[in-house]
Amino acid sequence: MSLCAFKAIARSGLFFRAIECHREPVALFPPFYRLYLYNLGCFPFTTSPKFAGPENYQKPPSVKNAKPRRASYKTGFPFSAFAAGAAKRRSKFNQKETEETNDGKTHVYKGNIIEVPAKPLFADEWKILKEESISIEQFEYRMMLQIIASNGDINVAKSLLVFAARENSIDYKLLQKYLCLCVMQNQTSEIFDIYEIMKTRFKRWEKGAYTLFIKGFSQTDRWEESLSLLEAMKKIETPSSRSYGSCIQGALDKKKGKIAWGLYHEMLENNLTPRFDTLKAFFDTGKALKDDGIFKNELMEVLWYMRNNQVYPNEALMQSIKSWFESIPGEDWKGYTSVVENSGRCRVCSQSLESINLSQEEYDILKDVILNDVIHGNDTFRKTTPKELQKFQRFVTSCPPFDIVIDGLNTAKSPRQGINSEVLLSVVSFFAQKNLRLLVLGRKHMLRTPWIWWRQHMDLIQQKANCFFTENISQDDPFLLYATLHSGNHCRFITNDLLRDHKACLRDTQTQRLFFKWQRGHQLMLLNYYPGKQPTFQPVLNYDTIVQTTGDTWHIPYDADNVERVSYEVPRTWLCLQRKDHKT
Amino acid sequence: MSFLNALFKKAVKLTVFQSVLPEGTRKALFLRTTYKLPPGRTLVLYFGMRKNENQLVPSKKLDLDEWKNVMKSSLPEEGSPEILEHEGDSSSTAVRELVEMWRLIGGMVPEHISDEQWKVLMELSTKTSRKKYLKHLAIKERFKNAKKAKKEKQMTERKVMLEKPVETEEQRKVKNTFIMYIRQKNFDDMYNWRTAQSMRFGQPLVFDMVYDKHMNRKEMENTVKQILETESWNHRSPDPFHIHFCSLQTEGPFHKELIKRYKEAWDKLLVTATEKAHVEMFPKDKLVYLTADSRNEMKAYEHDKIYIIGSIVDKCMQPGLSLANAKRLNLRTARLPLEKYLHWEIGNKNLTLDQMIRILLTLKNTGDWKAALEFVPKRKYGGFVNTQHHSRIKLELLGEKKVHLFDRSFSSNLNKEPKPKKWWEEK
Repeated sequence: MSLCAFKAIARSGLFFRAIECHREPVALFPPFYRLYLYNLGCFPFTTSPKFAGPENYQKPPSVKNAKPRRASYKTGFPFSAFAAGAAKRRSKFNQKETEETNDGKTHVYKGNIIEVPAKPLFADEWKILKEESISIEQFEYRMMLQIIASNGDINVAKSLLVFAARENSIDYKLLQKYLCLCVMQNQTSEIFDIYEIMKTRFKRWEKGAYTLFIKGFSQTDRWEESLSLLEAMKKIETPSSRSYGSCIQGALDKKKGKIAWGLYHEMLENNLTPRFDTLKAFFDTGKALKDDGIFKNELMEVLWYMRNNQVYPNEALMQSIKSWFESIPGEDWKGYTSVVENSGRCRVCSQSLESINLSQEEYDILKDVILNDVIHGNDTFRKTTPKELQKFQRFVTSCPPFDIVIDGLNTAKSPRQGINSEVLLSVVSFFAQKNLRLLVLGRKHMLRTPWIWWRQHMDLIQQKANCFFTENISQDDPFLLYATLHSGNHCRFITNDLLRDHKACLRDTQTQRLFFKWQRGHQLMLLNYYPGKQPTFQPVLNYDTIVQTTGDTWHIPYDADNVERVSYEVPRTWLCLQRKDHKT
Repeated sequence: MSFLNALFKKAVKLTVFQSVLPEGTRKALFLRTTYKLPPGRTLVLYFGMRKNENQLVPSKKLDLDEWKNVMKSSLPEEGSPEILEHEGDSSSTAVRELVEMWRLIGGMVPEHISDEQWKVLMELSTKTSRKKYLKHLAIKERFKNAKKAKKEKQMTERKVMLEKPVETEEQRKVKNTFIMYIRQKNFDDMYNWRTAQSMRFGQPLVFDMVYDKHMNRKEMENTVKQILETESWNHRSPDPFHIHFCSLQTEGPFHKELIKRYKEAWDKLLVTATEKAHVEMFPKDKLVYLTADSRNEMKAYEHDKIYIIGSIVDKCMQPGLSLANAKRLNLRTARLPLEKYLHWEIGNKNLTLDQMIRILLTLKNTGDWKAALEFVPKRKYGGFVNTQHHSRIKLELLGEKKVHLFDRSFSSNLNKEPKPKKWWEEK
């Protein structure tokens, strides 16, 4: 298939049609690749009708001693290694293998836990208890901690304080913990009393007490005092987003939208990330206040903030957003939870999502950053040598742009079966058949060890693809990234490495996000390989997982409650919002 | 609660019933009634007892808010005078405030902080780093106090012992001996003589001091501490190295720290400290850079080579730093054969400087890898590899592989079967 035709297909959105009816989990492969083994019906580079669509799909011959299909395989949707839950699944499979060696014993540390009495005690009874207990040091403090942990009766805590006051004076630490208990149980009058005592008794407070008072006051009628407390706190150090959150919550409870939004913007200025329950409070209040135009604009701003910082809401916040949209008067919004197919279409509204491709400007920045930060870094000698880098740059510029760049060592070593060179040859031939221009990156030892890297295989590889072999002590990943970026936006790379260490070399979070986006859109991963069969690859998603809108629709990715997502993954579940009246 | 109930039951049985009921019926009643009393009954009795209890304790009703009055009536806490003194500088007062607050909340804060330590504390930029530094100081202080206490205890014991009068005449008599008491000074003289010999004829060992920019304050302190230890191990060995501190910048951080630790002994130290780099002082083909990142395993100790050790403590994870330096100067590199001789379990393959020199000294004097690698911390490995056994297995494996390869090529030739075609070869 020529490149033009391929691009045309890509544009028409026929990419990666997932066929769910033909899943075939394979148990023979290393656990890393056993994540979710699907035979994708449509691969971007296939030309033969055999692999063109579901009608002509042929089931691969069943593998011997393949384990029976698990129940967990049935649920879900084919997803890439960057989708939420992939790492969890991988660790689970890894665990399964090491389970036999591990006894699974969990050592839970149990300190000296003091029993909390059920009813308030007299001072002399406390004294007896104190003398009986194993650790007499800080008895009152530890008892208070225990009361907090078990969410005990406040009267018991009070009687403890009486005892402490008689024995020796109550110190700051103990009083703060008591305050913590009061705030936890929402004992308003007690909080006010402690406030009076703290004001007269202690000259300076630390952050914990301020935070607790702000939280305690914001829930009461004296919520305005929490604002002045916040001001006082700023003199010591920057308040946490939790303190801001409590103040905002207090203001929103009293329907003071202006103050709440003011605090919200101040918080963003201080580079704090708002908590989900703060955002949720905004949306919930927005639903209750129906006639405020400012409120609507501000909430839209919140959505844009989520887009720019790649914040993915949790399920509770998603529900609030959905119900707020549905409550907007005059606009008939409807929200559904949805998933997006690998082709980039939302299942509910069948609208295509934003493309993952970077803009030209972003692309140039990324290319520059990879060269400067990842390859050069502080010291070019750490990863390569200037001589080698020059040689490589000359090589890349002398060749026409590549379509696929292959990390030879990683690709060859990833499946457990097969000879290394044969795996690599198989992958190279697969793409060479499609008349794609290939670059294979390797190290020099691949040419010098014919008992591992068979000479006939290596010769064939060098016929079918351009090759570049780096020094044995150089890193090949930075070269892979540079070659791919140099070739242009259509170029993809093959490695099973998640490239997290290279991402960590980048200078700020904004470029790291850019890199991650590019990586999601351009990285192919070898999924399974049988000796003598065509290799299969993990799907490349050509849509971006980000909060997005087209005016009439909003698509918001969110984290489902039961899925654990690690930092380098993106959620798979979406909220699809659409305006009904506009459509009809 | 259940314990109390049981107690009440017993009390009731023994006292109330016995006294109330007449003699004859008492027996009959106890025969008929079960020992389990209905719960309602115990509850009623419990109330009775409760009243009794209150009567026993004369201190009126439990006043839960009593502590508040105590707190309100007492004087406010006095601010420490330290803070008032330094009111001028706003940033320093803020740090002092913060430290006081950590002390309030019961964090790890030392009792006394010297002026120099305050200066270091002010220079730290983040709150976490300050907290860590304070914790470090607090732990140091605790150790210091414990040591002081121990010393005092020993002093008093010694005093008591000295005060005891010598009893017998025999003990008081001066003994006749042909060897004078050997003092530390005699040892030092011998060691110095040996080290001086090594400075003329010994094998050089280079410490590369170019890493001062890559280390923070704590790492630098640790490095210098390790260098001190290294020097003393070398000093005491039967055949010492001639130690070179290469690329040591005068008035640089390394130099300053070394002078601070050695004080006036620095000028009398039997080592060569120079601003020149190792490549300027020695022929390049003789130099071997020791680094854990190297691809070449050290096979045997070579007496005609000059080994270079990078003097760096790397806690911030900067892999390949010394390898990059060796690459830049085009030097030979080597690493210790740790995997070959030890069942490595946990920890970094980078060893401390004093461990390195002890290993090298042992290798130099005995050539025995097992004796040398005893100095690798025990926590890091499970045990020594049985080298004989190991080599046999390796041979077997190799043999098998060879046979396997041989079989493959021959069987296909003999049977004349066409090779199974790969999918990319099909048309």
